Amino acid sequence: MEISELLMQAANLMLTGMVGVFIFLSILIFAVKGLSKISASEQSPEQPKVKRKSQRGDTAGVPAAHVAAISAAIAQFRQNN
Amino acid sequence: MDGLLNLWQATGLANLTFPALSMIAVGCGLLYLAIAKGFEPLLLVPIGFGAILTNIPVAALAEPGGLLYYVYYIGIDSGVFPLLIFMGVGALTDFSALIANPRMLLLGAAAQFGIFATLFGAILLNFIPGFEFTLQDASAIAIIGGADGPTAIFLASKLSPELLGAIAVAAYSYMALVPIIQPPIMRLLTSEEERSIAMPQLRPVSKKEKVLFPLMVLALTLLFLPAASPLVGMFCLGNLMRESGVVDRLSNTAQNELINITTIFLGLAVGSKLAADQFLTVETLGILLLGALAFSIGTASGVYMAKVMNRVSSNPINPLVGAAGVSAVPMAARVVNKVGLESNPHNFLLMHAMGPNVAGVLGSAVAAGILLALVG
Repeated sequence: MEISELLMQAANLMLTGMVGVFIFLSILIFAVKGLSKISASEQSPEQPKVKRKSQRGDTAGVPAAHVAAISAAIAQFRQNN
Repeated sequence: MDGLLNLWQATGLANLTFPALSMIAVGCGLLYLAIAKGFEPLLLVPIGFGAILTNIPVAALAEPGGLLYYVYYIGIDSGVFPLLIFMGVGALTDFSALIANPRMLLLGAAAQFGIFATLFGAILLNFIPGFEFTLQDASAIAIIGGADGPTAIFLASKLSPELLGAIAVAAYSYMALVPIIQPPIMRLLTSEEERSIAMPQLRPVSKKEKVLFPLMVLALTLLFLPAASPLVGMFCLGNLMRESGVVDRLSNTAQNELINITTIFLGLAVGSKLAADQFLTVETLGILLLGALAFSIGTASGVYMAKVMNRVSSNPINPLVGAAGVSAVPMAARVVNKVGLESNPHNFLLMHAMGPNVAGVLGSAVAAGILLALVG
């Protein structure tokens, strides 16, 4: 008698619990998908910028004195041969 | 002569009762499983030793005034220790596999059916004389199916503290037995062809996604299930410390020192609940039985859900990965990988199984929150 009442409550809990877990995690699925879309759209225009920056950085990173020294060395090498 | 008699009265020999002796034997059994068999040694060593200490006659370590009583009172009665451990677990968890394939969350949700079906089973046991589980007791027992030690201890301490010892021992024992319990169920429910399905490689996940993920989970918990916020909140804090990359010192502490220190005291406190009058009951047998049932149902429902998803989805999904939805990180994912390799030696499912595996951790925390909200 009392057990059957408890069983009804347990069955109710089983239903609400599973529905609750599925709803919560399904919302999370959409949230994660949204998150990856946002970060993908923000990343794609950024990437080439980063590359360009790094390319500029490479050429600008060599000091003028080094460039002069290297070109002088090349010129000397060409004269000697 | 009186002095001698008093001294004899103060010895363990004079005060040792059969139930206490049996519980010391249970403690030794747990130590044996941990040391000789390697079953969850990090927890079963302090739990087993705590069980022995608790049952030492005269010393009354688990009574008010005793060390173990205070450790329990401070750490478990308050719910602090399981939450600190959950923060460490968050700091140890990498969500990349889940963020790359968020549909795996459905597998983590399906595997929680083990919890709710066991809840029903626990109430059904009341038809047998000797069992008198309330809805609170049944919920605390059922959470064993979440295969997550801290969650089980947290919920049991809130809903049914007198059953905590048996529930914690069952939860950790079955987590150690995952490689034995799961493979037969997985093989039974899948065909050789299904087990050898290869899954497409996961995309790389950006740092921004990993940093925002715990904050997003927290926001959803705040909005929809505040009852789960102690567990999910600490978990997300640990994970944010890991992924933000700016507090490596804190993240390392949460992953190592803090979780280790807490584990020692958590184990001792759980052991202090293994007193003869609470453990040597027919209900403990019922809890052990229901725990195994919860694990099995959770595994089966995860596998079934993965089979359904495989039929519906355009990308192939190996049904074995559903079994990892019961959390028990990372043991369940390793088991999936091993069973998958038996059918197809070139098919490594580990990373694919980590998605449902960490989804299972979130799923069981959410299930615990729902139980707390509805039954607590």
